[in-house]
Amino acid sequence: MAQSLAKQNRSRTAAIHLVLMVLSGFFMLPLLWMLSTALKPIEETMTQPPTWIPTRILWHNFSDAFTYGRDTLGYTPFLVYGRNTLVLCILGVAGTVVSNSLVAYAFARLKWKGRDFAFAVTLATMMVPFPVLMVPIYGMFKEFGWIGSFKPLWVPAWFGSAFAIFLLRQFFRSIPMELSEAAKIDGASEWAIYWQVVMPLAKPALAVIALFNFMGTWNDFLGPLIYLLDQKTFTLSLGLQVFQSQHGGTQWNLLMAASAIVVAPIILLFFFTQKQFIEGITMTGLKG
Amino acid sequence: MVNRSLFPALGLIGVAATAWYSERLTAPEVRPGPVRITYWEKWTGFEGDAMRAVVDEFNRSQDEIFVELLTVSGIQDKTLLATSGGNPPDVAGLFGPNVAQYADNMAVMPLTEFCKEAGIGPEDYIPCYWDIGFYKGEVYSLPTTPASTALHYNRALLKAAGLDPDRPPKTIEELDAYAEKLTKRNGSRIEVSGFLPNEPGWWNWSWGYFFGGTLLEGDTITANSPENIRAYEWIQSYTKKFGAGDIQAFRSGFGNFSSPQNPFMSQKVAMVLQGVWMYNFISQFAPELDWAAAPFPHPADRPDLAEPTLVDLDVLVIPVGAKHPKEAFEFIKFVQSQKGMELLCMGQRKHSPLREVSPGFYEKHPNPYIRLFTELAYSKNAIPAPKIGIWPEYQAELNSAFDEVYLMRKTPKEALNYVQARMTPLWEDYLLKQKLREQR
Amino acid sequence: MTLKEKKETRSALLFASPWVIGFCVFLAYPLLASIYYSFCDYSVLRPPVWIGLRNYTNLFQDEVFYKTLSNTAIYAIFALPLGMLVAIGLALLLNTKVRGLAVYRTIFFLPSLVPMVSLAVLWLWLFNGENGLVNIGLGFLGIKGPNWLSDPEWSKPALILLSLWGTGNAMVIYLAGLQDVPVQLYEAADLDGASPWDKVRNVTIPMISPVILFNLIMGIIGTLQVFTVPYVMFPGGSPARSTYFYTMYLFDNAFRYQKMGYACAMGWIMFVIILVLTMVSLRLSEKHVHYGGGA
Repeated sequence: MAQSLAKQNRSRTAAIHLVLMVLSGFFMLPLLWMLSTALKPIEETMTQPPTWIPTRILWHNFSDAFTYGRDTLGYTPFLVYGRNTLVLCILGVAGTVVSNSLVAYAFARLKWKGRDFAFAVTLATMMVPFPVLMVPIYGMFKEFGWIGSFKPLWVPAWFGSAFAIFLLRQFFRSIPMELSEAAKIDGASEWAIYWQVVMPLAKPALAVIALFNFMGTWNDFLGPLIYLLDQKTFTLSLGLQVFQSQHGGTQWNLLMAASAIVVAPIILLFFFTQKQFIEGITMTGLKG
Repeated sequence: MVNRSLFPALGLIGVAATAWYSERLTAPEVRPGPVRITYWEKWTGFEGDAMRAVVDEFNRSQDEIFVELLTVSGIQDKTLLATSGGNPPDVAGLFGPNVAQYADNMAVMPLTEFCKEAGIGPEDYIPCYWDIGFYKGEVYSLPTTPASTALHYNRALLKAAGLDPDRPPKTIEELDAYAEKLTKRNGSRIEVSGFLPNEPGWWNWSWGYFFGGTLLEGDTITANSPENIRAYEWIQSYTKKFGAGDIQAFRSGFGNFSSPQNPFMSQKVAMVLQGVWMYNFISQFAPELDWAAAPFPHPADRPDLAEPTLVDLDVLVIPVGAKHPKEAFEFIKFVQSQKGMELLCMGQRKHSPLREVSPGFYEKHPNPYIRLFTELAYSKNAIPAPKIGIWPEYQAELNSAFDEVYLMRKTPKEALNYVQARMTPLWEDYLLKQKLREQR
Repeated sequence: MTLKEKKETRSALLFASPWVIGFCVFLAYPLLASIYYSFCDYSVLRPPVWIGLRNYTNLFQDEVFYKTLSNTAIYAIFALPLGMLVAIGLALLLNTKVRGLAVYRTIFFLPSLVPMVSLAVLWLWLFNGENGLVNIGLGFLGIKGPNWLSDPEWSKPALILLSLWGTGNAMVIYLAGLQDVPVQLYEAADLDGASPWDKVRNVTIPMISPVILFNLIMGIIGTLQVFTVPYVMFPGGSPARSTYFYTMYLFDNAFRYQKMGYACAMGWIMFVIILVLTMVSLRLSEKHVHYGGGA
């Protein structure tokens, strides 16, 4: 009896593994196919049946995609796009961390009249879709003379976002109030408590919102599409789209190589920060 | 302890430096010396090189103005964005059909006064090209390179199908008969198609004109005129012949236009409607191709529509809000000179929009059919895109109707009635709002 | 108010000031301006002209508006529940304490990290009618794959399929929720002789229902704004406008047709739709969502 139960259990585990492996295949194949195509000569992208391992591995597809247009443009497009994206990410991440931690501190650690109402309003703003704001914000940035510069893409990050405020507030609240009280008795100002007590303890949560902002900036397409004008100021996402629309269907190997260039840093980042990633995403879903 | 307080300070400096750097990256270059003007152009490749050569020539010719050429993709949308964003270039190289919308939105400056001063007038140009930039009594744009279109056909394939390669089809009916003979199938798989109305698919809106239809008469939308319906029936006849699914499968094997996998160059489609530029791409990607160009056929019962040609034009405009309009026009004027224009048109291997060409222009021109394209531009059946402020929407609507007809989802009549019913109120609304705007 | 309270309120205002400014400048003002513009003929280049309800009356007669609305609705109706089903299914599988959980989790999660534009470009290639991996795979099974990208009947299914590939994000959230379900509940169910399916239905789903609700609402908001992937994959919403989504039409109206007032009206309608759907989900969920202690 016990033996057959164990056997049954084992076959169940085996079945689950089988299902998971098949599904893993479905999830990984597209990425592997991208890599495989990116390394092929162009003729081989169209052969039937297809090959998974290129007969000739062309590493230079990557450098070709990377430097495409250098001669006519006078600069290496993907390098420039990468630099622009990175600059935006740095400014955006810094702004997100600074502004949202301040605001979340007010919501989580201070008592004031109307706090809960203000917090409810803050949460409700998550429902406002960007398209409804797009036109007036565009008009506003026009008045500021900011269209064509990077400012529309990073300055707003310095003024808080509902989602990050929410995440940080949840985290700040889990830090025992006694720590603040004790510091206060020692004569610390709110600012000192924020900076010396709460912030050091909040590093994991800060890492999470930093990561999210980084991803968001790296991914953003609509923003750069409407605010950036000169090709020299494009981000990787926008640059890739231009690359795609200019190349249409044939240079699939180069297109996949270019696409991989945009994907790779994010995946790399993931492998270095797996823990924060998983924790962060976990945090977002809970306690809704 | 020092380290702890130093860290945020360093961070702050780092962020400030990055912010400063980010500003540097997007700020226009300020340099002493000549006035710098920015010029956005759509072309890359050899067409871009030709434009660059003209810009370099202009920059060399004087030392007051320096033109900076920037390549911009999706220029018709990007320039509108930049202009409404208050940060336009000084000169933009748009497509001819964009002019009306830009003018109605007050996004481009009228050039009439500048032209008068510079002595530039309609008498200098092939009429259809001058006309493209002339809208509501003002000149809004001046030409760069023009294009007329003709039937390009694969002589080798014609020969192989037992057709006389020196006698291209003259009428639409002949075209259809030729196409029939040229088509090769292997079961449901199409291997060669004689002709496809949506190859290259850039002018799906235009087929009505080839049958005597129009899209706009005065202030009336005429999308569902009998001529247009006839054109769409003709389009659909190709789907009926091939089957919608088989055409889609066939087309998804086509490569990019500018590559050896281009369906005409890879001999998958034997006859196409193409412009004067096609020669370049053939000589670059399929130099061995045995091809010829001839006026596009007309319907047999409408001899009055003989020698139809779609005419399109790249134009230069000065967006409203440009910082140096005067200097911008100096550059435009240079492009309009015979010297500047021929440098450009020769480089892009097109004909000149100017009536007068320098001696030897045609003899030097590498395209063996260049005279044909110039002559076609003078044809009374030259077809420009209608000058209408809602052209982007009208075109999107016609493209969608084309899809519906081509994929056999609607009859030509249904599809065009739909376009008519949709565009008429839109157009009336547009006119009303234009009036409202003008009252302000 | 005591002195201490006063002081605390003052510092709270100081701490919250970035958001106060951000809220006013980047949210409240644009939202109000957007209402105003929605009653105007407005093109940025010219001052807005008041035209009353005209944008709205035009919208309600605009068939493309309805077309994009229905495209978006169809997409959402399939992509959202299917995505949730796949995500919960994967999470349940992974929650069976199999070995190598971290590896599987990484594999399922990775695709959701792929930036949208890369995603679109990659799937353009995968869905290619002739040489795409999807049709090659189908051919292997003896099925002749459709022309995903050029057949109006198949373009939306292609996008829905593609969206399932990125569900790893939600899966991680569900997985975390599942791991929080007290083991005692399952043990109690075991004693009652419950089948695995009974346990999922009666224990697991109710216990993670708040997570499901949260994901549903965020999913609605996100799905209704779908833009980047179809914009890159299907220029102009081709073929035959089958992939022309609401936000794409809004974008075109604002920036290509310079009908910014019209775009604002569309934006407001979208906002109202989101509000209504959120309210409805919250109301409907009242009975079904289980907020356990501690969560």
